[in-house]
Amino acid sequence: MNDDPIVKIENVSFSYSGKNIYHGLNVSFPRGKITAVLGPSGTGKTTVLRLIGAQLKPDCGKVLFDGVDMHALKRKELYKIRQKMSMLFQSGALFQDMNVFENTAYPLYEHTNLPHEIIRDVVMMKLEAVGMRAASKLYPSELSGGMSRRAALARAMVLDPELIMYDEPFVGQDPITKGVLVKLIADLNEALGLSSIVVTHDVKEILEIAHYVVIVAEGSVLGEGTPEEIKNSSDPRIRQFINGEFDGPYAFHLKGKDNYLEEL
Amino acid sequence: MLNFLGALGRYFLQKISSLGRSFVMLINVLLVKPDFKRNTLLLINEVYFVGVQSVIIILVSGLFIGMVLGLQGFNILKDFMATGSLGTLVALSIIRELGPVVAALLYAGRAGSALTAEIGQLKASEQLSALEMMAVDPLHRVIAPRFWGGVISLPLLSLLFAVIGIYGGKLVGVDWLGLDEGIFWSGMQSSVDIFDDVIPMAVKSFVFAVVCTWIALFNGYDCKPTSAGISAATTSTVVQSSLSVLGLDFILTALMF
Amino acid sequence: MKYLKAEILVGFFVFASIIAAAVMSLKIAGLVLNGSSAFYTLHAKFDNIGSLKLRAPVKIGGVTVGRISKIYLDDKNLIPVVDMEIDSSCSSLSNESKASIQTAGIIGEQYVSITPGFYDEESGSEYMKDGDYFTDTGSALVLEDLIGKFLYSAGSDAQEEKKKSE
Repeated sequence: MNDDPIVKIENVSFSYSGKNIYHGLNVSFPRGKITAVLGPSGTGKTTVLRLIGAQLKPDCGKVLFDGVDMHALKRKELYKIRQKMSMLFQSGALFQDMNVFENTAYPLYEHTNLPHEIIRDVVMMKLEAVGMRAASKLYPSELSGGMSRRAALARAMVLDPELIMYDEPFVGQDPITKGVLVKLIADLNEALGLSSIVVTHDVKEILEIAHYVVIVAEGSVLGEGTPEEIKNSSDPRIRQFINGEFDGPYAFHLKGKDNYLEEL
Repeated sequence: MLNFLGALGRYFLQKISSLGRSFVMLINVLLVKPDFKRNTLLLINEVYFVGVQSVIIILVSGLFIGMVLGLQGFNILKDFMATGSLGTLVALSIIRELGPVVAALLYAGRAGSALTAEIGQLKASEQLSALEMMAVDPLHRVIAPRFWGGVISLPLLSLLFAVIGIYGGKLVGVDWLGLDEGIFWSGMQSSVDIFDDVIPMAVKSFVFAVVCTWIALFNGYDCKPTSAGISAATTSTVVQSSLSVLGLDFILTALMF
Repeated sequence: MKYLKAEILVGFFVFASIIAAAVMSLKIAGLVLNGSSAFYTLHAKFDNIGSLKLRAPVKIGGVTVGRISKIYLDDKNLIPVVDMEIDSSCSSLSNESKASIQTAGIIGEQYVSITPGFYDEESGSEYMKDGDYFTDTGSALVLEDLIGKFLYSAGSDAQEEKKKSE
């Protein structure tokens, strides 16, 4: 296994409808590891994933996937290279008019010419891996939030990608489901030998399984390192975020022009 | 004053850039290599969704418009002792104008808005993004089949509209008001010509089909992925399609007749 | 083979459209499907074709036997020439026949009416072939000229009467 990072973001700036979101972002995501991207809400963590998937185009800078600049590719080459990555969306983004089995089988029908029986076997194996085999005939509207995320995970890994990106996988889940998802992410990364990028703000859960942590805030990287390094960081901003203190360098009160007393 | 100019400039640039994006989308859709193995079923589903589900509204409105034309036409022509021309009047007005135009307006309201809302919903629930990340181009799998489904369906719907409308006129003129059936049909047959009337009707409804479907799909594809964004996109689909149909109808009429 | 409900309904939709297209062309536009559909073309020169249009009918005694296929001006002597496609089942037209432009009703559409001439082998008459010209033609009656003539003659009549009475 080679050691160069699976994704490398070099000096990327990005702004969306006039708002500057990233300015000179530099991050590397190591191959074969689980990398957590942490940060307060609204700092554009999901944007990082969309930049890697080339769904958004940076104003300047490069995003290298496996050494290839994603944003210099032609449309056709881009779609080719996207077969090597997949993404688990916050909502799951299952196709509403297909059942779980058809959802999971969809990438296989699109990208391979395998006979129906083999596709069926592959899909059932993947569904078994996420514990959803019994639910293969259910439609997305009949699934709970955790179940649809697991089904979406089966769909995301059905093509055996090199990289899976998770967009807020734990949001709005009960503790048991969170535990299940945490275990699934760790197990799949181990078993399939792939690389994972997890965007989240559930610090406690992700620090259990992540090999590497990147904290983004205010348009650039605030700190990065192994979970231990992050936990023992001396930066008060990182400490506030990790420990979940309500006031600190990130003020509880939004900064305003007027003085509170004057306004009264 | 500067504010006003700035706002005007920004508005204009936004319109131009969205027009540009819509052309990019249309060209991408047109350039898709047809993939019959995978797309035939998708196409059939879209013809069902866009075409078959609009048949009832098209037939009912066609019938009533034909009947109203028959009734009004009869009352007016009676004053000139020219009720024999009723067939000509009904057939020509439906084939040349009302058939393609009203069918396109109904299509924009019934199918166009549904297409916009559907695509917008797919976008809002990240299903389009999911397709992209699965290395499936949504222009190929989502937009293109709907486009061709619409382009196939609307001309057929206009044809059904025209035929049922003319039979509606016949129902009122001949069966209720007692006009001679032979005169009704022969007057129509001698004045309606395949090349002068029916082919231009087909051209018109083909153009309307392309424009309406394009507007509907682009508005859905380009909408803000929120519920307010979808509803705004649906509204502008209906408004833009209706205006384009009426405007284009004038241009096409001036060019062809 | 099992078909989806959508497929069956789409099939029905397309079938209904084909029937509508057939009704449209046969019943409404009055297209006549002709089994043989073989034609031969005859030319006729007229002094004035009035408002004769392309695809107007050609009739013999009221029965349609063909259509106008082309209307153009003869380059040399600037005389309108009308080409008509005559159904080949109507092949025994003598070259003595006369083609004239007539009007259906007072303000109706104009058409070409052919009055068949006598066929007499001894006097050298032949059947008309593809590409032949009618030797005898009658131009369109232009309503305005007619009215003009009538008004003129009526006017002069009135003047004469006036003179007489004086």
